[in-house]
Amino acid sequence: MFLRIHGRHLLPAAILAGASVSGLFLTTAAAGPASASTSGSQIAPLTTVALPPSYVTPGQQLFEENCSSCHGVGALGTDHAPDLVGVGSATVDFWVSTGRMPLAIGSIQAAQKPSKFDRTQTLQIAAFIASLSSPSGVQSPGIPNVNLQTADIADGQSLFVLNCAACHTITGAGDALTNGAYAPSLHVATATQVAEAIRTGPANMPTFGPGNITNQQVADIVAYVTGPIQNPNNHGGSGLGGVGPVAEGFIALLIGVGGLALIAFWIGDRA
Amino acid sequence: MSDAPSTATAQPGHGQAAEEDVPSVASYADPHMQPAARDIGRAEWVVGAFLFLGIVGMVAFAVVYWRGGQPQLEGIFFGGGLFSLGFGMTAWGKYLLPRGPFVEQRHSNTSSDIEREAMAAAIVDRGGMMVKRRPVLTGLLAGGSGIMGVVLMFPLIRSLGNNPGTSADLNPGTSLYATDWKVGTRLVTADGTPVSVFDLEVGGTMTVFPEGFTSDIQQAVDQTILLRPADSSIITKPGRETWAPDGYVAYSKLCTHAGCPVGLYQAETVQLVCPCHQSIFNVLDGAQQVFGPAPRPLPQLPLMVDERGWLRSQGPYDQPVGPGFWERSS
Repeated sequence: MFLRIHGRHLLPAAILAGASVSGLFLTTAAAGPASASTSGSQIAPLTTVALPPSYVTPGQQLFEENCSSCHGVGALGTDHAPDLVGVGSATVDFWVSTGRMPLAIGSIQAAQKPSKFDRTQTLQIAAFIASLSSPSGVQSPGIPNVNLQTADIADGQSLFVLNCAACHTITGAGDALTNGAYAPSLHVATATQVAEAIRTGPANMPTFGPGNITNQQVADIVAYVTGPIQNPNNHGGSGLGGVGPVAEGFIALLIGVGGLALIAFWIGDRA
Repeated sequence: MSDAPSTATAQPGHGQAAEEDVPSVASYADPHMQPAARDIGRAEWVVGAFLFLGIVGMVAFAVVYWRGGQPQLEGIFFGGGLFSLGFGMTAWGKYLLPRGPFVEQRHSNTSSDIEREAMAAAIVDRGGMMVKRRPVLTGLLAGGSGIMGVVLMFPLIRSLGNNPGTSADLNPGTSLYATDWKVGTRLVTADGTPVSVFDLEVGGTMTVFPEGFTSDIQQAVDQTILLRPADSSIITKPGRETWAPDGYVAYSKLCTHAGCPVGLYQAETVQLVCPCHQSIFNVLDGAQQVFGPAPRPLPQLPLMVDERGWLRSQGPYDQPVGPGFWERSS
């Protein structure tokens, strides 16, 4: 966890303040039910979804039926899949709600597909994993609830350009990485999934903690992604997939030059 | 010129077409002068309708423009009007102008061989004599032309970029060897916030700049990518034992190939990817290039953590950042 205290480090007050604010979001994953919800939910840009304790038992059953063949009984991991103890509810919710888990086929990168579970079942599995206390006592992100009312889309755009566009591209269409891995399209992600991805860094995506991107900035980015990125204002009528000059050049050559050629044939043809 | 029949009143401009079977006076009785359309009345209607549509489109554009403008409507009216006028004109030419065929005789413009040989001999003979008579002026003309040719090369040389400067020059404005990273420079984010050793999670990344140098586009050479692949110190190369404290490692963000920002971080494989030409750098091995056209690893910025927890550079980059240039030694 990022609050490892080295004896020689005397933090400036500002950092301490920032760290304690970030604690609002990083509610302990293993914590009991009542403490999982944060106060002031009308104001805070990110709050943690409270998971009822009654979810743990059905969640464990769902986990054992659907996940334990790879992740092992008790989520301790096997040769095929990693240990899930301590990963927290946000990680589980992201992977399961985007359909990436359960895995359809072993590949470089888990493919997004319709989720196998409904919302309640997903939360139950997340509650079960969150109930497993981490041996290191590390606090993992809980499922975020994004408050977009105070979000600033313009700030979100700046942050998106700085932190996200390198891989996901400026239109959010996603692009290839290396060795078959790719940054997925953001056009179908929900607000919660975007926030979860930022905070948990699934697979090859970097992890952006509160020291790097504040809760307010997460809300700003989510507002930009669920706003202009997912509903682009294409003045030309079609974004052509938002994949840049190759598609646009192809259309321009095919329709533009092709059309001009047809017109030239018609003009030059004898009546 | 015109060998037209005696009836010709020799219309200028028709002379070349005046063959035996093509009278030089336009006549609708002449089959060549007939319009191409089978149904002339209908063709006239179509042409007229499109020309009228063109007028309507242009007038509508003018009205919309003067009423304050609306880009889409203006585009539709102006484009539609332009298309209608163009179609009308083209259809007029295609269907209503004389069908032809018309034959235009042309003769060769080339001078005869004798004329050309005489010309060449005159140039050598008289021209050579004239030049030899004025050796000083000839020399001045040749010298002026030569110097002008050399001077015209200067913009080409300038366009190759600034003078690289020397490695002793510590000003990045005048030397490709220097950046603004000095001994003990604090790392700040793009908005100037200092970065502490508690800011990045394991697997996190951010772009950092030297403190005091974030506002100027000229500081692009300073941009550095800060990564935290682990939570304990990393040795990326022998001799760099203290460069990556607490798992924080920093590399120049300028690709050594063409200077693109190497901003794609694959956290799982711990690789940096350049978006321009897909060069791949292994973060844990001193950003050694493992694929792509990059000729060198990304230069590593030696980091340290001060007593208050702020991240600082131990010193400047140990080599020039960005693409290579002729003068750099390695």
